[in-house]
Amino acid sequence: MIRVDDLQKTYRMGAVEVRALAGVSLAVRQGEFIGITGPSGSGKSTLLHLIGLLDEPSGGSIAIQGVDVGSLTDDERTHFRLTRIGYIFQDYALVPDLTALENVVLPTLAFGRSESEGIVRATDLLRRVGLAERTRHLPAELSGGEQQRIAIARALVNAPALLLADEPTANLDSRASAMVLDLIASINRELGQTVLMVSHEESHRRYFGREVQLYDGAIVDGSHAASDEAG
Amino acid sequence: MFERERVAVYLAARSLARGSRTSLALNVAIIGLVFTNMILLPSIISGSVELFNEQSIDYQTSDIQVRPTEGYQYIDRIDTLLETANRAPGVRRASARYGMGATLSARNRSVSVPVNAIDPRNEVEVTRIHERMKDGEFFSGGERGEVLIGQYVAGNEDTRKDFLASLGGVAVGERIEIVFASGARREYVVKGIFETGSYIADYAAFITWDELESVVGTEVDEATEVLVRADRGADVNVVRTALLDAGVQEEAKTWREAISSTVEESLETFGIIISISTMVSLVIATVVIFIVITIKAMNQRRQIAILKAIGIHRSIIVRSYVIQVLAICALGTAFGLAMVGLLGVWFTAHPLVFPDGVVVPRFEAAALVENTVWLFAVSVVAGLIPAWRITRENILSAMKAA
Repeated sequence: MIRVDDLQKTYRMGAVEVRALAGVSLAVRQGEFIGITGPSGSGKSTLLHLIGLLDEPSGGSIAIQGVDVGSLTDDERTHFRLTRIGYIFQDYALVPDLTALENVVLPTLAFGRSESEGIVRATDLLRRVGLAERTRHLPAELSGGEQQRIAIARALVNAPALLLADEPTANLDSRASAMVLDLIASINRELGQTVLMVSHEESHRRYFGREVQLYDGAIVDGSHAASDEAG
Repeated sequence: MFERERVAVYLAARSLARGSRTSLALNVAIIGLVFTNMILLPSIISGSVELFNEQSIDYQTSDIQVRPTEGYQYIDRIDTLLETANRAPGVRRASARYGMGATLSARNRSVSVPVNAIDPRNEVEVTRIHERMKDGEFFSGGERGEVLIGQYVAGNEDTRKDFLASLGGVAVGERIEIVFASGARREYVVKGIFETGSYIADYAAFITWDELESVVGTEVDEATEVLVRADRGADVNVVRTALLDAGVQEEAKTWREAISSTVEESLETFGIIISISTMVSLVIATVVIFIVITIKAMNQRRQIAILKAIGIHRSIIVRSYVIQVLAICALGTAFGLAMVGLLGVWFTAHPLVFPDGVVVPRFEAAALVENTVWLFAVSVVAGLIPAWRITRENILSAMKAA
């Protein structure tokens, strides 16, 4: 499903070079729920951003569903994100001018689906995340937990191969956090959705099928699942 | 096909509908005022040109002006020419004028103005000066010893109010002395004072043809010009050709040709003023739209980054901003058109009063269309550039910075 080989990322901050990832290799099988953990600055989010095609590596390669994403043009990367990756951000990242339903419909329109088809898919997903009654509300009128569930629906609406979640509960209280994590876990379990989630919460470990621990830009535990089955 | 436009419209419509109403109203008002400004000045100038044209036809040249062949001072055998002209198809009436330089004196003041001898029965058919009598009456036939003078010749008793040298407010019934360029000196009673509004027409005097012959001492069968009025609705160019075909060998010019040399430079100057005014308006529109979209896109950097992150193509985002600009422009133009319409109604009821006469701004459809197209074109460019620039920003940088 995903093969990451010797992935490196170096940032330049003025005259200083900061090595965020120092040769990470990782394999992810279809349907896995992987938790990426580690202390602050260990490179968790950087790894997720690179796999999510939001950033470009300084070295190494990433293949998703057999596609070497490093060879894609900017337009192709955008299309890849639209069609194969669903992203859940820490701060929900909803479009404030769009209602809950419209936020979820938008990626389907960009995908080329008709608006009516998009509304059907979006309504189904909003019902699944428990927000069937809140479809006409703007993000500003919803709680953090509700916004994050909309973000989950939006991430799933184009049936992506890969769901990436970057500390999705960081801004939520424990009740809303549990609801969001239960939702992601159920999607993984019931739909066989591949999930990569960044977290630094010990309590989240029980949701992960496998945990990949990072420290100073390198995997210290959890990359062992890389095998010939991956890809 | 048009998939990206569809998504762009989806985003733009919601951004406009759910964005700040005040900001939208202000932007629309600014574009509307820019549009009004682009239309108003040219329309006033068009109105002035129209007035000038009407005055030229009604009080100076009629539809066609026949002048002596180049190198000659007079048109000879004027009776024959008038007969020929009056027989030409499309001609309503031809009237001869005999212009002389003269000095008019009264109330210890003198002015030098052209004095035209006319046949009143023909003159009333080719010009409308007789309809514009400010005081007294127009000639009824072959009056002798009487003169018609323009309002600027008569002037005001308080001469500080005069634009031109005058006879100090001479009135109907007063006697004035005229010394013709030939040296002849006569005394006349002012029969009437006319007020056409045209500086050229109102700074002249008229005597009858019979009076001219009395001054000259012989029958006069020559003229300095012949004015020809065409039938209503007739094409003056066709009538001019008909005159030439009928045997008129002198220089026959349509009113437009006759005044072109006089006003060509003025029209060019007006054209330059209109161009400058339009340019300034377009620059204002460009700057306003550029600033509006720059601020909007800067404020929405994070939103733009989010859209890109979830796979919305950059071009869709740019197009959504351009569509918003087009919508603002369309609303602004509609507002501007409403303003122009209201101004049209207002100026019809309260025309602008210029020294030359009353001017009603003339709103031309071609100018409305042209200015609308220009406004849309510059607005699209002004909206496209900041949107294109800001959407190029790296996704993560924009998400972190915003």
